[in-house]
Amino acid sequence: MWKYIARRSFYMIFTVWVISIITFVVIQLPPGDYVSKIMNQMLQAGGSSATPHLEEALRAQYGLDQPMYVQYLKWLGNVLQGNFGHSFTYLKDAKEIIWQRLPMSFVLAFGSLILVIVLSLPLGIYSAVNKYSIGDYFITFMAFVGLAVPSFLLALICLYLSYKYGGQALIGLFSPQYVDAPWTWAKFLDLLRHLWIPVIIVGLGSSVGGVGGTAIQLRVMRANLMDELRKPYVDTARAKGMPEGRLLWKYPVRHAMVPFFSNIGWALPSLISGEVLVAIVLNLPTSGPILLQALMDQDMYVAAGFILVYSILTVVGVFISDLLLAWIDPRIRLGRM
Amino acid sequence: MSELLLEVKDLKIHFFTDEGVVKAVEGIDLKIERGKTVCLVGESGCGKSVTSLSFLQIIHAPGKIVSGEMVYYRQTPDGTTWEIDLAKLNPKGRKIREIRGAEISMIFQEPMTSLSPLYTVGNQIIEAIRLHSKATKDEARKQAIEMLHRVGIPNPDRLIDEYPFTLSGGMRQRVMIAMALSCNPTMLIADEPTTALDVTTQAEILDLIQELQQQYGMAVLFITHDLGIVAEVADDVAVMYLGKIVERGSVDDIFNAPKHPYTQALLHSIPKVAMKREDLEPIQGMVPSPFRRPNGCSFHPRCSKAMDICSQIVPAVTAIDDDHTVQCLLYEDVASRAEVERAQS
Amino acid sequence: MTQKQPQHTRDPREETKSLEIEVASQWKLMWWKFRKHKLAMASAVIIIIAYAIAIFAEFVAPVASSTYSKDYVNAPPQWPHFFQPDKPILYVNALKFETDPNSFKKTWTIDEETEIPLGFFVKGDPYKLWGLIPSDIHLIGTQDPQAPFYMMGSDALGRDVFSRIVYGSRVSLTVCLVGTTLSLFLGMILGGLAGFMGGWVDNVIQRLSEILTTIPTLPLWLALAAVVPLDWSPLRVYFMITLILALIQWVWLARVVRGKLMALREEDFITAAILDGVGQGRLIGRHMIPSMLSHIIASFTLNIPGMILAETALSFLGVGLRPPVVSWGVMLQETQRVGAIANYPWMMFPGLAVFIMVVTLNFLGDGLRDAADPYQ
Repeated sequence: MWKYIARRSFYMIFTVWVISIITFVVIQLPPGDYVSKIMNQMLQAGGSSATPHLEEALRAQYGLDQPMYVQYLKWLGNVLQGNFGHSFTYLKDAKEIIWQRLPMSFVLAFGSLILVIVLSLPLGIYSAVNKYSIGDYFITFMAFVGLAVPSFLLALICLYLSYKYGGQALIGLFSPQYVDAPWTWAKFLDLLRHLWIPVIIVGLGSSVGGVGGTAIQLRVMRANLMDELRKPYVDTARAKGMPEGRLLWKYPVRHAMVPFFSNIGWALPSLISGEVLVAIVLNLPTSGPILLQALMDQDMYVAAGFILVYSILTVVGVFISDLLLAWIDPRIRLGRM
Repeated sequence: MSELLLEVKDLKIHFFTDEGVVKAVEGIDLKIERGKTVCLVGESGCGKSVTSLSFLQIIHAPGKIVSGEMVYYRQTPDGTTWEIDLAKLNPKGRKIREIRGAEISMIFQEPMTSLSPLYTVGNQIIEAIRLHSKATKDEARKQAIEMLHRVGIPNPDRLIDEYPFTLSGGMRQRVMIAMALSCNPTMLIADEPTTALDVTTQAEILDLIQELQQQYGMAVLFITHDLGIVAEVADDVAVMYLGKIVERGSVDDIFNAPKHPYTQALLHSIPKVAMKREDLEPIQGMVPSPFRRPNGCSFHPRCSKAMDICSQIVPAVTAIDDDHTVQCLLYEDVASRAEVERAQS
Repeated sequence: MTQKQPQHTRDPREETKSLEIEVASQWKLMWWKFRKHKLAMASAVIIIIAYAIAIFAEFVAPVASSTYSKDYVNAPPQWPHFFQPDKPILYVNALKFETDPNSFKKTWTIDEETEIPLGFFVKGDPYKLWGLIPSDIHLIGTQDPQAPFYMMGSDALGRDVFSRIVYGSRVSLTVCLVGTTLSLFLGMILGGLAGFMGGWVDNVIQRLSEILTTIPTLPLWLALAAVVPLDWSPLRVYFMITLILALIQWVWLARVVRGKLMALREEDFITAAILDGVGQGRLIGRHMIPSMLSHIIASFTLNIPGMILAETALSFLGVGLRPPVVSWGVMLQETQRVGAIANYPWMMFPGLAVFIMVVTLNFLGDGLRDAADPYQ
């Protein structure tokens, strides 16, 4: 068990490290940098102070004149100390922006994850046990619909419906009076009242890239359980005289949970993708809109910070699902798989 | 004298698939007596496993018992006998569950996959015990350790907390046997229990089953394709081909005076010591597709003694003597049956 | 008990009858199984029609994608009516102008009184089919070329949404094919290497694919798409975007290929081929690829919808394809204009096209996947 945890932990750290490199490189890829962008703006505004001298001075000030690996190492060193660098557009610490926006993103993505599990597990079990029944066909059909409605389209439809039938207030995460208010119990309840719509949109809609979304997980659970129901150990338990209901939960369902949980960890990245997209459409005060803007403006430290923190969240999520897996399956716990 | 425990009459099990109806079991008769061992022999796909599972009402969709009876003579503690038709019981009902595991229990072919890898050996045995008795967890655990000891598992009090995947195949089959016998059943169904094991372990497991049979006095229905095992363990033998029992008799009858050409061919196809290779006669052809059961006697396309009429008439059960029957036109007075049928129509 | 091949057959008729089932080729078995999947069959038909529309976009669309009208801006959908008494066989109602007395805002509404007759194979905007064959015949359109006909409404520039969806299908339905083909190519190579070589190669590729799946896809795509310079030609952007999509999507296909190869290595017929001294090239070409092909086709189909969604999402956010290219995602950008969703909900029609394609492709892929294992 400890060996397993140690190995998973090592992978976790290794993965985050590689991702930090990928992130940094990708963020550096666009031609030009933030300084050249400012210079352009100054030139367009007819500013005469946009001299090559100023350009160089700015570069030096931001540390953009150094070779890429030096910039990377400096950035990594800072990140390890919890410092994500400077935001060029907002002129404050990237850390501040990230921490201001990220918790809501996390709450949204995590809420959707719960929704996905709560819906896909029982529906998948029902479908597999009553396969080819009307209920199964209905669930399967709805799953295919869910698979085909991208979350941003679902968000657009919700937006339209809310315009059409009043209920403007349901868009956004807080009622106006709470937006800038300090955290109170009332504010929290207000958040919950608004949160369910984006949570449902992200959880039910098809995510872009990856395996998120209720529809896919439901299909996975149904397929797994149908495989397990055919296994000989089910007959063994039945031949003991076990009641069907108890048998189902103790044996095939628990067996089918093994691949389900090893998969659910990977749903997190696509739920985060869905959250980003939906937040942009609904203009929610989460990380989505800021990230998009940062990428467009080449506000590299903000963008890199967001992507890195998302990835860390995912890695931690996967790690937790690995632990759950070890808890369910003794073969993993005892290092037989 | 011998006492009847289970009597199967004209049992038919069909599978209703999209491609058509598969008649997996097509009208079989079988008798099992208390304390005796009956072997059900046949090639793979002849319906012997389906038959055995049907005794416990475990038939997977789209299979269904279409007709027939399976009368189980249940003995109550006060000595009276109840007749229960297992074929009529609801597969999900309480009645069949009381019989499963407690009175008729089963061990399977694959000890690797027949135990769940997610629970300890003890958990799975204790569960079986507690399903049919009011034993507390501790009592059941003690009984389980005792059972493991009886099936010859070393250090049962330690092994009870092991997971099945840490055990060898032979050990797992012993665990399966311990589990099956934990409620002291009157009948054990062993579905090819040694097929997946290596030869020495096979012998050990066979000895174990016979030894326990004597101790517990239960009947055993042994399903196998291995005639060597039949010779060793059987009292009575039923030979199955394509869902029918083509010949039934005592082990002596079957080995010394086989009547059905299929039984004869099966016996010829086992190699014996001091036999020349050329003498080995494989049975011609292959088992036909279940969707295309040959007309008449279903064995006739492969039969070396087939007559023209074999492709037209389904042979009836013919008695050779008291407890030796065969379904083959060679032994049936076809002319007289034709006359009877003509008279009827 | 092993069965020997029959040395001679007693009843030759019996044998030939059963041969039909037993000797049917794998592809035939798959076709038989696929045919039973009604939804997949229906989906296949819809998909074929959709691609036919994409191919003959100029002919199918009532007007050209760039045709605009200064007058008919944000016109609502005019649904075609047919076989009504005392009316033309096929017509749409005309549009009429209304001015809000308070805001002086001008809006179009349907004029139930007047009809505009429609016809098939009418003359309209001249075009060159595939840039080669000049014509001005359109599948459907108004008899009078000046009359307005906006089956799915018009956008802020007075362009016909329906015609643009038809033209957009050309881009949206090919981006996903090119992208999936690219990722299949990458997936086959990397998944093939992993599955065939095993060992450390497998380990490295596995870790790489695991890391790629850990990074939330959309932010990564956004970051990569932000690299594409604004001054690139539409064609270059098109290929860059497909490349970006493929760079991440290959992971899923690689997993299928690897898993299948790993399972195949355990198969007896592969072992037999190796023992027979079959060379590596022949082993892959003659034995492994054919037995994987059906699964690969199924996975390929199942990956296309993801690509459609990805392209749509990126273009919708403004970092994928950009006007003047017409794609469903580009068209959906319109919905982000303030008030567009509330007042002109027909701007969401491209979303319906996305929905239909993704549903049918999923059904088709599902049917193919089921059929890929004909022996089950």
